[in-house]
Amino acid sequence: MKFLIFDAGPIISLTMSGLLQVLEKLKKDFKGEFIITNAVKREVIDRPYKNKKYKLESIQVQNLLDKGILKLSSEFVDENKLNKETDKILKRANSVLQTTYNKKKIKLIQEGEATCLAFANLCEGESVIVVDERNTRLLGEAPEKLEALMERKLHTLLDFNSEFAQITNKYKMIRSTELMYLAFKKNLLNLEKDIETLDAILYSLKFNGTAISSEEIEEIKRLTKK
Amino acid sequence: MNEKEFGSFEEIQDMSNISRILKESKQAILVKDWMKLKNLSNQTIHSATIHQDPVNIVIAVLVYSFSKVLQRESYQRMKEWDLFYKYILENWDLMINASQKNKKQELLNYAGEIRNYLNNMTGNLGEYIKDIFRKAEINKAFKLYEHGISSAQTAELLGISLWDLASYIGQSNIYETHVNNKISEKQRIKLIEDFFK
Repeated sequence: MKFLIFDAGPIISLTMSGLLQVLEKLKKDFKGEFIITNAVKREVIDRPYKNKKYKLESIQVQNLLDKGILKLSSEFVDENKLNKETDKILKRANSVLQTTYNKKKIKLIQEGEATCLAFANLCEGESVIVVDERNTRLLGEAPEKLEALMERKLHTLLDFNSEFAQITNKYKMIRSTELMYLAFKKNLLNLEKDIETLDAILYSLKFNGTAISSEEIEEIKRLTKK
Repeated sequence: MNEKEFGSFEEIQDMSNISRILKESKQAILVKDWMKLKNLSNQTIHSATIHQDPVNIVIAVLVYSFSKVLQRESYQRMKEWDLFYKYILENWDLMINASQKNKKQELLNYAGEIRNYLNNMTGNLGEYIKDIFRKAEINKAFKLYEHGISSAQTAELLGISLWDLASYIGQSNIYETHVNNKISEKQRIKLIEDFFK
């Protein structure tokens, strides 16, 4: 079984860009399941439902859950096991970096993101995580690069714990931008399939929270031309 | 249960910094020096990124909000102003006292009381100030995020919605900074194309 696991960020950026319904079309083309964890559900459905500003968006996401396009992780992995694994990941991930000066651990990820990593560890099958957050992506793919990045951002010297980093460095991750590129290539967007449409989609996702640079967007556009 | 008055060396050092910020802010509020308040708020947000604790963040939001309130001189001519100003100065003193005794929770409680007071303010001044605070929270959230704190962590620290934060993050140019990713765009796209086969 294949699992495409969604963090809250991509669901939010897709919804705010008016692209959430594309997931329904992508799902028809996918031999596996689209997953959200209960922690992510709280961020994308339960909390915004109580806020009139985002209630409509939360109903749109709930609708995908009702239709079975998105499924809850608890259908595949026991919730208690997931919670225990999440705790372990949070401890490890948030011990990767600490300040050199007073050994203060730098909190890099939160519960929602950690549950996605935990599900990837526990699910019986192949998985890819859709995560727009740069810190989580670097932590999962190249934690050694986080040290320099965070030192620059925090203006303070940090120590890198390679032992903890090795445990987190094993995930396959994409962003909402790559997922929508795939939808574009598969002609699932009901829009003209030209470079301007792709440009509009990628920048809309960027302006709605996806951690992607203009340089990376241009790189994606160049790939289309090849 | 009595609150612990002595923490680790770094906690005491941090509280001493908060105490300094509060005292200097009080002086700035008295002379209505909003620029000084803005600078003090920026100093606090730097500590907040390292410590990621609610005290620094609450103080950063409060100090920044008051810099904005004082910047708008017309507010000071509104009829609710005197009462509001007196309340703030009294509670500011209470916050200073709590910080000097290293009583973190007590300090947070007083800051919370200021927020409750503002939330319950009626009239035009109340509406304007509430709006300033809401924008200050988003502004500080954005600053934290620009300092490398994740969006989820930022949202949690400030008690704001990830949805609110998303559009602000989009306006940031922090992702224009080149990070030598381990996986190229081409590889990432191949990964998802293969996954869908």
